[in-house]
Amino acid sequence: MYGTTAKILRVDLTSGTFETETLSEEFYRLYPGGKALAGYILLNELPPHTDPFSPDNLLVIASGLLTGAPVSTATRYVVSGRSPLTGGYGESEAGGFWGPELKMAGWEAIVVKGKAPKPVYLWINGDQVEIRSAEHLWGKMTAEVQEAIRTELADEKVRVLQIGPAGEKLVRFAGLTNDLRHFNGRNGLGAVMGSKNLRAIAVRGSQRYQAMAYDAKTLLGIGGRLAKDVKENPLSWDLQVRGTPGLVEPLNAGGILPTRNFRQGAFENMDDVKWEAYEKELLTARRTCYACAVRCKREVAVDGRESPYGGPEYETIGAFGPNCGVSDIHAIAKANELCNAYMLDSISCGATIAFAMECFEHGLLTVGDTGGLDLRFGNAEAMLTMIEMIARREGLGDLLAEGSKRAAEKIGGEAAFFAIQVKGQELAMHEPRGKYNVGMGYAISEIGADHLVVTHDPAFAKPDAIQLKAAAPLGITKALPPRSLGEEKMEMFYILEKWGSLEKVVGFCFFGPAPRSFIPPEDVLLSINSATGWNLTMDEALQIGERATNMARIFNLREGFTRKDDTLPERLFQGLENGPLQGNAIPRDEFDASLTSLYRIKGWHPETGVPSRERLEALSLGWALEMLPQETK
Amino acid sequence: MKLTSGGYLTFYMPERKRSIEIQLNGPTPLKEILTDLHIPLEEIHLVALNGEQADVETAIIRNADVVQIFSSVDGG
Repeated sequence: MYGTTAKILRVDLTSGTFETETLSEEFYRLYPGGKALAGYILLNELPPHTDPFSPDNLLVIASGLLTGAPVSTATRYVVSGRSPLTGGYGESEAGGFWGPELKMAGWEAIVVKGKAPKPVYLWINGDQVEIRSAEHLWGKMTAEVQEAIRTELADEKVRVLQIGPAGEKLVRFAGLTNDLRHFNGRNGLGAVMGSKNLRAIAVRGSQRYQAMAYDAKTLLGIGGRLAKDVKENPLSWDLQVRGTPGLVEPLNAGGILPTRNFRQGAFENMDDVKWEAYEKELLTARRTCYACAVRCKREVAVDGRESPYGGPEYETIGAFGPNCGVSDIHAIAKANELCNAYMLDSISCGATIAFAMECFEHGLLTVGDTGGLDLRFGNAEAMLTMIEMIARREGLGDLLAEGSKRAAEKIGGEAAFFAIQVKGQELAMHEPRGKYNVGMGYAISEIGADHLVVTHDPAFAKPDAIQLKAAAPLGITKALPPRSLGEEKMEMFYILEKWGSLEKVVGFCFFGPAPRSFIPPEDVLLSINSATGWNLTMDEALQIGERATNMARIFNLREGFTRKDDTLPERLFQGLENGPLQGNAIPRDEFDASLTSLYRIKGWHPETGVPSRERLEALSLGWALEMLPQETK
Repeated sequence: MKLTSGGYLTFYMPERKRSIEIQLNGPTPLKEILTDLHIPLEEIHLVALNGEQADVETAIIRNADVVQIFSSVDGG
């Protein structure tokens, strides 16, 4: 079999033992890594209703089929398990260097079960695997731990994937980081790892991806050509020049920059937090992920010194900036550093603090609750203090560490309205009242509110724009307005969701393939086929993506999720308070009708959203029928 | 007039500059200014004229005006 190591490392932390599983090609063609492999393992091996913090929960870390291939943006791996934030299928992707290194070490995936009696870390050096004590690392910040592990192993090139003190404290939105700059932020999977007393996984490998490829020459040719294309495509050029911080100003201009807990869509102090301010006040250097010519990562100075944690991405700027009413770019950079040192998801953390700020301004939380902090919108100092309180579970931080949904249930009253979340996960910094498919993605995503389900609506607003033209090979050819729903829009959603899911299966970053970015869909397909020797058609490739989302859907149905969970926070059905889209709300009835259409298009029951037998069998998922709860069949 | 770009539209600006200043001889349709600069109109998602949203098809620009043009942008 080509393009894969075909090996899974299985680790039982309770017994301290390992096993190697070898995958067959027949299996791998259906579940070729990442989201698909993780979904299959979770669905087949994790008993329903397993407590996310129980030793029985699984932590599945799976690289994608192309992770580590010499093609820009093919760097991603998935971390998966039952989410302590949502109670459903948990998943979070990251780029960087760790995923490619895992593949170079000879492994497609790691499946961790059980719980170590004391803190440990895993050391994977090619096919040599060792469990080592992490007692001396427990409680320490991520930068210190990475340095300590590299020193201990006497190898500066060891790639370290780890949780931080927040994961140890079981903060429900604790994440994982690799190289201190790349994050599996979402869904609280860092807390799952923490519950297993597993602080880190250090990896070193030497096997080049090309050696596994069916047609290495073609694969290298695609990689070389795409590396040149980066500078000639407007979308990737912009990512290289500004990176994600470049989103702040255009989103604000469109009235879709989440501000003050999604009350508003425009921020009056936007000039203080836009790219030009970032470039002037923070930027020190640019970086990238493994073999990626896009180079969208940023290095910054914090507190007058080079930060070891990289610079804030747009999501972090949005979450701790406008959404908390904060206009101090240095405070935002500090917030980013704190999140990365303690390893918190900066989206959920910022959004949960914004939620607390609104509760405070409405008297639902008082200075008595906050330990004396004046937790109003715009108070950067209080925001920074609260990040540390959450990470350490101190005072009000202990409640907020549960996430905004659980915190709102405890606080009571209007608080539930201020919790801007879906399925328990806080919204990313994209305002769906200006782009309705993003809202549909938030609602239907199996991991709770996620902004990476589909390419965002404005890309398809104009008939001759480059993104719409680039989507033609996927079958998307008609321009549709961002603020529209209905049958045609749901057909578009369906295709884009399959494509986005495929990216998460094969290991591409959202900033690689068109229509979001610069890699033509044909080159994605050619990369897969060159790596594997398969002869996948576009339809077959899309089916891989669809298979993965259906498995995640079944996982959630089994956990008791229903149609009522595929919705949006009440606030989004009300008008924005300011900006160019002032007064605009998502039309509730139309949204609900479109959800019904989307279910039907996906081959799910139009009322319940349960996948039909026919669709599951068409996706080679007939085996999963028996996993559907009896009452939903 | 001052023309500022955001999102991937900067790619199409002269010398890929974020903003430029242009001397106009009189009130000029924005569409004409952008066409002369070879900025593809189909990629323009938003226009702000002196801070207010404007229509690329109909906006008329004077020398004292500040025009911002933005492409669509995505998440990530």
